[in-house]
Amino acid sequence: MLPENGIGENMKQYRSVKALIIILLILPISNLFADDITSGEKLFKQNCTACHTMTSARLVGPGLEGVTDKYEKEWLIKWIRNSQELIASGDERAIAIFEEYNKVAMTSFDFSDQEFSDLLAYLANPPVIEEAIATSNNIPIEEGMSTSTKLMIISLVLVTLVYLLVSLKNNLKSALGKDTETIPETLIGQYSLFISNNINVIFVSAIFTIIMLKFTYDGLMGVGVTTNYQPSQPIEFSHKIHAGQNGVDCNYCHSSARKSKHSGIPSANVCMNCHTYINEGSITGTTEIQKIYDAIGFDPKTRTYIDGYVQKPIEWVRIHNLPDHAYFNHSQHVVAGGIECQECHGPVEEMDVLYQYSELTMDWCVECHRETEVQMEGNNYYTHLHEQLKEKYKGEKITVDKMGGLECAKCHY
Amino acid sequence: MKYRFIIICSIYLLVTSCSNDGRGYEYMPNMYRSPSLETYGKNKIFNDSINARKPVAGTIARGYLKTFNYGPSLEDYLLAGEHAINPLESNSDNISDGEALYSMFCEHCHGPDGAGGGSITHPIYSVVPYYNDDKQKRRSGTTMSELKSGHIFHAITYGLNAMGPHASQLTETERWKIVLYVQELQKYSNE
Ligand code: HEC
Repeated sequence: MLPENGIGENMKQYRSVKALIIILLILPISNLFADDITSGEKLFKQNCTACHTMTSARLVGPGLEGVTDKYEKEWLIKWIRNSQELIASGDERAIAIFEEYNKVAMTSFDFSDQEFSDLLAYLANPPVIEEAIATSNNIPIEEGMSTSTKLMIISLVLVTLVYLLVSLKNNLKSALGKDTETIPETLIGQYSLFISNNINVIFVSAIFTIIMLKFTYDGLMGVGVTTNYQPSQPIEFSHKIHAGQNGVDCNYCHSSARKSKHSGIPSANVCMNCHTYINEGSITGTTEIQKIYDAIGFDPKTRTYIDGYVQKPIEWVRIHNLPDHAYFNHSQHVVAGGIECQECHGPVEEMDVLYQYSELTMDWCVECHRETEVQMEGNNYYTHLHEQLKEKYKGEKITVDKMGGLECAKCHY
Repeated sequence: MKYRFIIICSIYLLVTSCSNDGRGYEYMPNMYRSPSLETYGKNKIFNDSINARKPVAGTIARGYLKTFNYGPSLEDYLLAGEHAINPLESNSDNISDGEALYSMFCEHCHGPDGAGGGSITHPIYSVVPYYNDDKQKRRSGTTMSELKSGHIFHAITYGLNAMGPHASQLTETERWKIVLYVQELQKYSNE
């Protein structure tokens, strides 16, 4: 037993010494590298990622995977310092890159020698990119049972119950030696017994009438009101991602809301302001963004538009629709009124799929016009009129209806 | 018989009132969908059936007279920097208009002070040149802080690499207002 133990102990000591030596050997080297690489990474992220990735994927410029193997250090430094000079000097490789990337001149960077060596160290040792393990796509969507399924189950239970009770009754009757009845016979018998009493009939029909009236009333009030209308759209565009998480202003895409009756649906070129370079979404991957490219003929691989492509419109489903006999103007409300988009459209920046938030009924319009004060500050156009109004309604709140905001012809003409 | 009729009616109403994904009922549908063309609708007149038309080639819409006659090329960019003049006066009204427009159209990429930190989360747009940068030479041959109004107007109109062109979203007057505000930000110091 003992000698064996001794050998084990020796082995352990020997191993740990070996490990220590290896660690001591590696440490200074990796430390040296680590320093260079982290400050190189910082430089890269501050200056280069707008146009380059560290993979082979092309952005504005080429992906930089393995550049340090393709070009010598001196050449790379010259290129980064001033690529235009290098091209002008007739360097063949420089000219080839310039031609391949649509003659876009790269910004010149005046880094110090130390910064250059840091940056090149980072380029030679890019971080290992971890594969994303779980994609949010695969999360199963749990949905509650639909109302009709529930109703069906309840009615099935009721039918079974009737069947069981009747057969129970029949069993008892046959045990007593009486005549048995079929299910319809029982039901009809019970039914005529029930309606033979007048109070029963009155009671039931009263309840029935109330329910019917309620349904009819709700149904009629709902005619032409499409609150919560939430159709699925041809492209699964998420306002939550764009307006919420990325904080893009509503006016960036709906730029005509300030100028026109309509808050315009952005044409695809506005999408392309960002999606020329952002080709993959965080939830739907490339499928939904590809639909923009399909509509306008853009090839995300080469980042060019396809020649002679027949473009087709993206047919968004309209959600907010006023009847044609009611006039509404966005610019009037957004610019003169200074109303936030969310006041009528609700928390759009939290909606993945857009729905109609407000009723858009006349009652809804009128109520707001009765309560909203007129925005007089910074509106020099109507100074004279505003003075008159202030004179007329001394001390009172001057709301939209006080200056004719409830006139029929304001909206119906 | 009477009861049976009521029961059938109510079942019918129950079934028909349950759909939630359609638009529901409209009163007088032809008042909702009148024959006049809606902005984004379809029509039978044009081959592509799109109601939203482009302006006729060679025409200029009222209020859209050109104040900037340079093309997208680098030569034109340099020329614009030298020669283009902002038709607007640099007064506080124009600058504050420019600021409001800047917050709608530029801030999410360039940040509130034009020195980065915009709300866009994508890595490509986490790196933008700072307007007040006075070290890095750019395609203009100058630093960002020395860009002329023509350079800035050109960049807004035609874009540059990862920054898209904003000509379709902003009128020329609005662009000149933004230029005035960006020129304020060029003087901004983050110390
Ligand atoms: C989608 C994000 C984005 C938006 C929106 C954006 N920019 Fe940029 N901008 C960039 C990027 C990225 C660059 C750097 C491009 C390069 O150097 O390759 C840039 C560069 C610039 C430049 C320098 C151009 C040059 O000539 O060197 C100016 C000026 C500028 N932007 C102004 C604006 C203004 C004004 C707006 C608002 C109308 C705006 N940008 C909106 C991303 C954006």
